[in-house]
Amino acid sequence: MTARPMSPPEASALLWARLRPYLRPRPRWRELSLLGLVGLTLWVGSLTLGTTLNVQAATLAAGQPPPSLDGLIAASRPELLAIYLLALLGAHLALVVVGRRTDQILLPTIGLLGGLSLLLMERLPQDLAGRLGGLAQTQLVWLVLGLAAMTAAGVAIRGDAWLRRYKYTWAAVGVGLLLLTFVLGREVNGQRLTLQIGPFSGQPTELLKVILVVFLAGYLSENRPLLVEQSTRVGPFRLPPVPYLVPMVAMWAIALGVVIVQRDLGAALLLFAVFLLLLYVATARWGYVVLGIAAFIAGGGLLYAAFGHVRTRVDIWLDPFSRAQEAGYQVVQALHAFARGGILGSGLGGGLPTIGTSLPGGIPEIHTDFPFAALGEELGLIGVLAVLGLYLVLIERGLRIAASAPDEYRAILAAGLSLVVGVQAFIIAAGNLKLIPLTGITLPFISYGGSSLLANGLIVGVLLALSDRGVGAPPAPRRNTS
Amino acid sequence: MDPVVIAIWILRLAFLGLLYVFLGAVVRVLLRDLRAAAREPTSALGRLVVIASPGEPPVGTVFPADAVTTLGRDVNNTIVLDDSFVSGEHALITFRGRGWFLEDLGSTNGTFLNGEPVAGVAPVSFGDEVTIGGVRLRLERPGG
Repeated sequence: MTARPMSPPEASALLWARLRPYLRPRPRWRELSLLGLVGLTLWVGSLTLGTTLNVQAATLAAGQPPPSLDGLIAASRPELLAIYLLALLGAHLALVVVGRRTDQILLPTIGLLGGLSLLLMERLPQDLAGRLGGLAQTQLVWLVLGLAAMTAAGVAIRGDAWLRRYKYTWAAVGVGLLLLTFVLGREVNGQRLTLQIGPFSGQPTELLKVILVVFLAGYLSENRPLLVEQSTRVGPFRLPPVPYLVPMVAMWAIALGVVIVQRDLGAALLLFAVFLLLLYVATARWGYVVLGIAAFIAGGGLLYAAFGHVRTRVDIWLDPFSRAQEAGYQVVQALHAFARGGILGSGLGGGLPTIGTSLPGGIPEIHTDFPFAALGEELGLIGVLAVLGLYLVLIERGLRIAASAPDEYRAILAAGLSLVVGVQAFIIAAGNLKLIPLTGITLPFISYGGSSLLANGLIVGVLLALSDRGVGAPPAPRRNTS
Repeated sequence: MDPVVIAIWILRLAFLGLLYVFLGAVVRVLLRDLRAAAREPTSALGRLVVIASPGEPPVGTVFPADAVTTLGRDVNNTIVLDDSFVSGEHALITFRGRGWFLEDLGSTNGTFLNGEPVAGVAPVSFGDEVTIGGVRLRLERPGG
């Protein structure tokens, strides 16, 4: 039996009838006004960058600083900024049309972070990376795709049963992804981070962190009463009951495995830190966290003794200046960049002209590993503190959404999603500042790179969906309490 | 002083200033939101939402769940369930230390947690369903 083929107007009418109940336009004035402020800020930033570059060019051409500013004040690449702001507006309009009562702070905050990223990429040498005709264009494409992923998740996700019910499936996908990276991963700069299948390449760690949070939220919310109430005493410590220790030991082993096989200290630190934070969120027991940190330190000590690449990282961290021309070069240049920036910075475009290249004075891999150092040089301490403030706003929103969630699962999920972004920003910022050993993970929403922007866009989208109080009561638990 | 240098300085400082104007605007919204949340009476540890009921209380009723909440048909219970399958003193929900517990008070028709009969004291977490007679209740976090 085949259905009569529908004519296009019939089909579109049917589609409209299906979609109609989901479209309830509701204005979001707070989001719109904050987005206006974001647009103004980015426009002034673009003017600063363009004018500084024009003055530099004029100085170089004439051999002396230009006497007046005639014709020199101009935005840098206004077309890219315009496209980006239109994408932000589009995301806002999509949220308005659907009319869910979701958070109005998240979109402007990541909008400003992404805009800073765009300005930074316009300013760096365009041949650093990117197949689409330069660094800035490629980054713009990924930023827009990240916003699209966020909007799609924020509009479409209306229940979480598909997330919470199949948590072991998600865990299996995560472990599979990890194993695939172990086997097929391509080594870049001594780290096996990149997975390439056919023409597509990406950093599985970015997806893995989302999957980890989804799994842990399911696992911890289900076993919370048991984790909280029962314990096995070993000497002065109160350990979780033995069957529930297994996943924790497995998690620890996975983190160490990532360090050994992928040579990726950052991902290991991120995954394990998020695991401990969520364990604390779920049980409110410091004992578990202390125990986890002790296990991680012990494992770290073992790795330091056993593996050369770990030792190199730690030695560079302790004393980069003893090897300033070889292994410690990146770190030393980043420290010089922060020092040149001072309190107010050198202004966008005013940093050293060799910033970001392998020429003397530049930081290798600045667009992925050291955007924080570049911001430190050009915006100074003031600007860097503002950027950290934006990440704090993201964390605060996530924790507020968690605090008003109706059940454990959504609370742990929301807390985990915001903390994973915050912890990642902290790890890489602290690495750039030589506060902890340098790692190769990205600065969320600012670093160059598609996987990172897509995964973080998705995270914010799910947070948006979770902040909607009205829709979709949690499904009835299916659990054997016996 | 050189007008070019001054103009660039003005632009730079305006950009940094605007970053903080944005942060300030966001923080103001966050503070207002936090104050509003603090004003809401959230003395309850949790809440019990009626999700199925043959009569009284109607579906959708929200009861605050205190440290000790008794459920039954008798009017002296914290939550009175007017259903002929519910015993006078039917079940007890308590919050002890870090978690919730459900126990049956020797009722005729039994108490069920997520469809399983409760024997002795059973740990409960937010999102779980308690069935007493024909009434189904869900324990939810107080903030939601």
